[in-house]
Amino acid sequence: MEKAVKKYSGFLNFLRTPTPTLIGIYIVMMLLFSLTSDKFLTIQNIKGIFNNFAVFGILAAGVTVVMIGGGFDLAIGSTAGLAGIVSSVLLMKGIEIPTPYVFIIAILIGCLVGLINGLIITKVGINPIITTLGTLAIFRGVCYFWADLNPRVYNLFVQSIGRIYLGNVFPITTLYIIIAFVVLTLIFKFTRFGRDLFTIGGNETLARLAGIPVDRIKILSYVISGFFAAIAGLLLISQLGSGRPEYGNGAELEVLTIVVLGGVVVGGGRGNYLGVFIALMIIQTITNGMVLLDVPVYLRMVVKGALLVLVIAIDAIRNKRHLQLY
Amino acid sequence: MVEIKTVEVSQKKKTRLNNTVILFIILVVMFALFSYVGRPFFFSKLNLIPMVSNLSFVGIIAAVLTMVMVSGEIDFSIGGNIGLTACLTALLLERGLPGWLVVIIAIAGGFAMGAFNGMLVTVVGVNSIIATIGTMFIWRGIGYTLTNGESILALNPVIDYIGRGMVFQVIPFPIILLVVTFVITYVIMNHSKWGRRIYAIGANPLASFLSGINVKKVKFIGFLFCGAAAALGGLVLTSLSAVGMPQHGQGQELVIISAIILGGTALGGGRGQILGTLAGVLILSVLYNFLTIMNIYYFYIQMVQGSVLILVVSTYEIRQAVARRRT
Repeated sequence: MEKAVKKYSGFLNFLRTPTPTLIGIYIVMMLLFSLTSDKFLTIQNIKGIFNNFAVFGILAAGVTVVMIGGGFDLAIGSTAGLAGIVSSVLLMKGIEIPTPYVFIIAILIGCLVGLINGLIITKVGINPIITTLGTLAIFRGVCYFWADLNPRVYNLFVQSIGRIYLGNVFPITTLYIIIAFVVLTLIFKFTRFGRDLFTIGGNETLARLAGIPVDRIKILSYVISGFFAAIAGLLLISQLGSGRPEYGNGAELEVLTIVVLGGVVVGGGRGNYLGVFIALMIIQTITNGMVLLDVPVYLRMVVKGALLVLVIAIDAIRNKRHLQLY
Repeated sequence: MVEIKTVEVSQKKKTRLNNTVILFIILVVMFALFSYVGRPFFFSKLNLIPMVSNLSFVGIIAAVLTMVMVSGEIDFSIGGNIGLTACLTALLLERGLPGWLVVIIAIAGGFAMGAFNGMLVTVVGVNSIIATIGTMFIWRGIGYTLTNGESILALNPVIDYIGRGMVFQVIPFPIILLVVTFVITYVIMNHSKWGRRIYAIGANPLASFLSGINVKKVKFIGFLFCGAAAALGGLVLTSLSAVGMPQHGQGQELVIISAIILGGTALGGGRGQILGTLAGVLILSVLYNFLTIMNIYYFYIQMVQGSVLILVVSTYEIRQAVARRRT
């Protein structure tokens, strides 16, 4: 808390965040992987890495908002799955609702899920992790309503939104992530919502006493997270060409790792999108590196869990919580 | 004034007495209703014995986890722990190790997992919810890696007895384990210094620390035994299914934690009753068993489990808020 109050010039302030360390880790990792595998530094592989992290990047954009406000959102995976399967059903032969409407419906579903999460968390006052763990199970169950339809996506426009490469090299999905991160950074810096969100994350009681409408802003943060989860769902059906109820399963773990590694403090109040973006690249490069090095599939799960534990342990140590006596 | 005060006190006592009793009444009504609606399958030996055995492995873990939750922490890794224990047990049996040794190794593994969680929370200082969500994936991932995602047959007289053995030809052995666990945890929580410490820490960690309680030690030991209890639960489940597979126990953390909160334990700690947990476990197990008997799709049961968790916690929070407004 005291650290946040002290003022440094812009660059010094940047050096104090974990972002420079992350950049260093990323460079070392790139060197290591390119030395161990000759396939790593090919354009084909790099294109693949960038296109693969689309879904996680978009999800991380929303989760960062929630976590800066001191909340948690574990329901993103099933929200993405729900938005994905509903829109793929609406695009099926015989139903074929015009694409813009499908997009609007998907986004509305995402926002609705976010609204439900936000309302339960703020108005009823349940721990956000417990709430979203419950809604995670509920909305995953809802996805299975359409499991037997096995919808495929033939719509060319929907297929293209997640698959186009600009100039044949730069994946358009990365552009979405950059746009989302830049817009959200601007919102954080220049809007009242952004400032209030950081205040709430820093000290909720203080924010309440200062007259900030805490509940409204928190609910809005969950709606934003649901919105991005819906977009991630659309990207999933676009890239995979079908809708399946299990899409997005376990995404919450990876996104949580990315966001915390990116320097967003568990408990809220601190974080920036540059860090999250580099963390996104680090995690996806690790995933890709494990594929190239032929690490067994099940061992990757262990590595991912261990990464999450490691990252939150670093977060706890960095924020000196270990000095607590009890 | 004096009169009003005494009236209030007596009312409070009444409600406190009633909480667990109400849960047991709900249980009896539910059981009667389900026996009628789900006839003839629900109330038959073929259903009741597996239900009771299943319920006992949930109950063993819930009883010990209640102690962790009363001290203000939580352990989500129990599901992963069950999966890893099941895989470990099956693998060791396949190698030809004697049954009793496998049981000891499995329980020791549980202690090790619990110790890891405890270290993360008390020494490193990580929030226990996130830490144990992470370790949940690690345990399950190790289970998958060990067995390569396959299920392995686990047949051995000792292991068979843990889940399917009958004491005096009538009482399933897991029930004995369940009763023993509940008696021990009940005595610890209600009639020992250690239990008082756990309650004190949950209610106010700073005050407990200042009054000389080693908060970290108490929490660490809670995690330690929670890991062991989950491993014991994993052994029972392995025995019941006669197979060790990494998917064992998936989603059980949702059921167990809902049962504990339904039993009246506060999420933030400081309040909770072992008997309440028992009632919660019985109610939820009977409910999910009924849904399975009624042939409801697994994913919808999962939906119900999620809703129950949120509903139970909401009810608890709303009651808390009402109580606060009254005072």
